[in-house]
Amino acid sequence: MAMNWLSALARGAEIPVFAVVGAQGLVPVEGLRHRPGLRLVDSPRHARVLLVAGAVDGAHKTELERLHAQIPTPRGTVWWQAPPLFQRGEAVAGDDPLPAIRAAAEADDPDQRPDVPPHPWQGMGPHGQGGRGMMGGNPYGRPMAMTADDIRDGLALDAYTARFGPFLPMWPPGLVLDMTLQGDVIVSATVVSPPIEQGRRGDAPALCAARMLRLMGIGPVAARMRGALMALPKGSGMRRRLATWLRGEAVAETPAPLSEALPGLEWAEAVLWLASFPPSRLRAAFLTKETA
Amino acid sequence: MVVVFLHGWSPNAPFPLIGAYRYVAIALPAMLLSMFVLIGAALPAKSLSVVEVVEAQRGLWNVVRQPLGLPLFMALGLAITLRGPFDYADGAELAGGTSAEESGPALALWKFARAAMLVAFSAMAATAFLGGHLGPVLPGPVWLLLKTLAVMAATVAAGRFFVRMPPARMLTLLWVVLLPLSFASLALVGVEVLP
Repeated sequence: MAMNWLSALARGAEIPVFAVVGAQGLVPVEGLRHRPGLRLVDSPRHARVLLVAGAVDGAHKTELERLHAQIPTPRGTVWWQAPPLFQRGEAVAGDDPLPAIRAAAEADDPDQRPDVPPHPWQGMGPHGQGGRGMMGGNPYGRPMAMTADDIRDGLALDAYTARFGPFLPMWPPGLVLDMTLQGDVIVSATVVSPPIEQGRRGDAPALCAARMLRLMGIGPVAARMRGALMALPKGSGMRRRLATWLRGEAVAETPAPLSEALPGLEWAEAVLWLASFPPSRLRAAFLTKETA
Repeated sequence: MVVVFLHGWSPNAPFPLIGAYRYVAIALPAMLLSMFVLIGAALPAKSLSVVEVVEAQRGLWNVVRQPLGLPLFMALGLAITLRGPFDYADGAELAGGTSAEESGPALALWKFARAAMLVAFSAMAATAFLGGHLGPVLPGPVWLLLKTLAVMAATVAAGRFFVRMPPARMLTLLWVVLLPLSFASLALVGVEVLP
């Protein structure tokens, strides 16, 4: 009896959904934020349902499978206006994915990836350990964090190298960077793959402003009065671009190459800087660089 | 502060770790701030006993006597409940930060702990600055409950209203503006209670 009551309550709760944004998927996913019955979450570990909105390039199939593996079981998958890259969940072609998400919240996908580390352990030492002492080596495909001079003050800190993207919720969808971080300061950045096409609607001022403000922890109502512009660092152009969007005008600036612009920024600043460019301009910056 | 750090350090993943380190950097000056305003609240009572602090407010609540105290203490409330402008541990730009790798019961427990911190902070703020159980007509515990609820509501509203700055700017604000303000508040209280 008590369990029936609890499960009825659980069914009435919002469904936590992790949205993967594919081609032209940004606008539809932003539209879902205001739908009752579901809640878009920032981490796949917080989600019940994986929603793939818009076609994802086959090159990202492995990353998508790993993301699927990170959703805690029981989990469901919905492919919304996206051709499935693997045989889990169901595909929806229409405008409203909510019925399919409700159905997926009752489903339980089996594992898609084998339950083994993505890279084997590659220790350096004679016993397969990290290397000299506890340092060095390439455990699980990632170089061990070793001390290096901090780029700001020369103090020796651990530099940590990893691949970031392509489905990070706070980043332009599809962008993949190899980055070295010291604490939360970016030391170097190399572009691995550019953002995915979002179309002209993805550049809408209201949508871009809302994405940026969400990273600062507030909604879009009266953002200027609440100090949104004052909170941004001076001289980076972020204030100017956010102010343009808040006035309802489009931003037409193209970012500098990321490998030059990102080093030296802290994580939060870098994320805001990336969000302060419209998706089409970010993408265009990469494509012109490739053809040049 | 130690618990939040360990919570971010233990998953062995980049975002929780960044959240943990950032939180320590921000929470330390926030704690210092609260220390000075709480000493300010204890000075008129000449005691750190919560009962004495409430009794000392029988004539005039600390929120009136020390107008800077409660707003500065609220900054600590936002920091220890990981809320809005002080949510450097679990913010959206870190995909959930220290709790990014958690799900199910562990995540529910973490949220419960944050809610518990909110209740504890609000009860202490109501006691130290709003006169605790003092009030007309209604019995004392009801007054304390009402005041605690009011502080909770104000904390949640402030968390939703104010914008979160990049951490470097927040550090400057804390060390250069808010911490000197808390010194000033303490100094004013000191001058006031001089016989």
